[in-house]
Amino acid sequence: MKLTLTVNGARRDVDIPPNATLLSVLRDDLALTGTRFGCGRGQCGACFVIADERAVASCLLTADQAARMEITTVEGLARGEELHPVQRAFVEEDAMQCGYCTSGMLISAAALLARDRAPDEVAIRDALAGNLCRCGVYGRAIRAVKRAAS
Amino acid sequence: MWDRKDPERLEQRIRLERDGTVTALSGKIDFGQGIRTAFAQLVADELDLPIERVHVVLGDTAQVPFDFGTFGSHSVAQETPRLRNAAAFARRQLLERASAKLRVPVDRLDTDRGAVVDRGDRRIPYVELLDGTPLTGPIPDELPLMPDSRRRYAGQPMPRLEARDIVTGRATFVADVRLPGMLRGAMVRPPGRGAKLRSLNDEAARKMPGVVAVVREGDVVGVVAEREEQARAAAGAVEVEWHLVPVEGPSADVPMRSDAGVDRALARASLRLAQTYVLPPIANAPIGPSAAVADVRPDGATMYVGTHRPFGVREQVAKTLGLPEDKVRVLPQITSGSYGRNTLGDAAIEAAILSKGAGRPVLLQWTREEEFAWSPSRPEALLEVTAGLDPEGHILAWNYDEHTNVHTAAGLDPQVLSVTSGRNAIPPYGPFAAKVTLHLEPTRLRTANFRSLAAAENVFAIESFMDELAAASGQEPLAFRLRHIEDPRFRRVVERVAERSGLSGGTLPPRHGRGIACTVYHDTYVAQVAEVEVTASGQVRLLNVWCVVDPGQTINPDGVRNQIEGGIQQSASWTLLEELRHRDGRVTTTGWDAYPIATFNDAPASIEVLVEGDASAPPTGVGEPGAVPTAAAIANAVFAACGARLRQLPLTRDRVRNATAS
Repeated sequence: MKLTLTVNGARRDVDIPPNATLLSVLRDDLALTGTRFGCGRGQCGACFVIADERAVASCLLTADQAARMEITTVEGLARGEELHPVQRAFVEEDAMQCGYCTSGMLISAAALLARDRAPDEVAIRDALAGNLCRCGVYGRAIRAVKRAAS
Repeated sequence: MWDRKDPERLEQRIRLERDGTVTALSGKIDFGQGIRTAFAQLVADELDLPIERVHVVLGDTAQVPFDFGTFGSHSVAQETPRLRNAAAFARRQLLERASAKLRVPVDRLDTDRGAVVDRGDRRIPYVELLDGTPLTGPIPDELPLMPDSRRRYAGQPMPRLEARDIVTGRATFVADVRLPGMLRGAMVRPPGRGAKLRSLNDEAARKMPGVVAVVREGDVVGVVAEREEQARAAAGAVEVEWHLVPVEGPSADVPMRSDAGVDRALARASLRLAQTYVLPPIANAPIGPSAAVADVRPDGATMYVGTHRPFGVREQVAKTLGLPEDKVRVLPQITSGSYGRNTLGDAAIEAAILSKGAGRPVLLQWTREEEFAWSPSRPEALLEVTAGLDPEGHILAWNYDEHTNVHTAAGLDPQVLSVTSGRNAIPPYGPFAAKVTLHLEPTRLRTANFRSLAAAENVFAIESFMDELAAASGQEPLAFRLRHIEDPRFRRVVERVAERSGLSGGTLPPRHGRGIACTVYHDTYVAQVAEVEVTASGQVRLLNVWCVVDPGQTINPDGVRNQIEGGIQQSASWTLLEELRHRDGRVTTTGWDAYPIATFNDAPASIEVLVEGDASAPPTGVGEPGAVPTAAAIANAVFAACGARLRQLPLTRDRVRNATAS
């Protein structure tokens, strides 16, 4: 099946099996491996991307559905070498350990800040509640999102 | 067992490259503990070099010295002296080379940020001293090291070296490795552990789109295809019949401490208390499931893996493929934290079999269901404690029976059982007569390494029981502990955390409570206070945690804080939420819905970690100790909040309600 996706502001043509998920197309066809596989059921947040301004699980979207949306992956957050404020804040707060869940958290945080420039802690927790982290950096990640907002 | 006999050679540890950078080599692995950064700090200081010019290679078996494995929070403790010595030796060689070149005695020379200087007027960058001759030679044991006043990085908080790659998505985790011609694998799983393959029909599967091979080796069956979706679909179409052979773990009784007179002292104690504590099995539950890339050729193999034991994986893969070990190169990648699970190279062995069968490189990534169902887990534990107090409230005698299953891949090696499956079963208190026995009992669950092994289980029992003894004898939990602690470093962390958290003073709102717990874990001293609210329905909400840790000399204080915070957060999740269910050796909780872990909404308002390392003591580990006392601190806080004493984890609403009612 031939499709054209809009990813990180660029039009990308792919030829993929029907029902391929957006996640597998990003990782296997577009070499955008920053979006990570965690569960395949939309329960962990590791594969979140921004689709039409909302953070969504790319493992639950088919590429066909995604072709009608504007997709932003973690690779599309920075402008060239200039990091997005949430990326900078996560580095400054050292809000990561293994880093496997970090892409998904950054996506949720970036989507939150795009709709609410000064979220309170409750809003931050709610916006990131779909992002599981086993290393336990929740406290630092909350601080990082606050820092990015200020 | 963790030490080698021969002196290490400099070329295995430090390489001065032609571009003026320095490569530091270690067999340890960084899963997010930040040891890459800590090692770079150590080497940059000792070699007097800007840290940006230090490149750390971890675990590549073609380059690094042999290492037994990354566990037990030993990395910084073991590697600090080795890397410092190696770097100091390299610096000495550079000074000697400069001395020959400039024809001035060594003692007239010094180093300054990547160059040898002759009293400030002549300056030779290290790279100019290379002259095509690598730094080499056996590293002497005792070398003068940089004085602390000249160390610019050690002791300073440093952001992780990988941070930028992680936030931009550029970091290459195992499943992100892409090789030319690489295929994708999917395994065909049996219904239970220890199943033997009875028959296999792959006719339909072979004809499916993208399928390159159906591979069978012994009882291992998998499909290799162009795309992952195709491999999974075809794996589901392979018809297999299995013969189930029940697997049971081993059993053993190991006396760990047997002081004379325990029974007699218990019999004449003026107060005697006996309690039993129970912990369920729990899952390591990494966010990234196991993965490996294997590139197996007729004459050798290259493995891209996430592992705690690159040399262990090399041995396992070489054996599986029938290759000599030196024909297998293991290249550890950045990997999802796995907290001990990756001590076993499951995915690597399977990927190697698939790649050999297909004749091309293969990436295998397990599904979430496979990760829960087939990974080893932390075994359950049942802990029976009896203690007797004298009329003044001192402990006279202590009897402790730990019932659990094996906690490491090393299994029943009697040399290590008491420090693995029996870790921290001996209480850190005294003086009193104690008897401590480890009973390993068979289980059909596959069990192995998880952060701190049995320590978190034992310390839950010991520290809950210390509170119960204090309550039974009308003493404060803090004072009761301090009466039984002699080690000044241990006393200090306990006193400091009490002070910092305001444990003894102030009043809390109704249904709020604070609890303390502490331990000494591999010479790291750690004390915690948890504050909880227990709602009317019995829900435990963790509000705040305070922790004071003394890991000796501290290299990266913020890295230490991050590790301890993470340990506390993960352990709070174990304590409040987690229970792995299994039947006939088969894990039945195989998704995040059935096995919930703490989310952003469960995180406490604050986790305050004070790193107060004794700078005169050698550095000790921090990856695990933070996770060890948390369960008891929370359970003790629940008791303080509502009078319910919970002796079984997790602290579910039903258990709290039942304990409150009784």
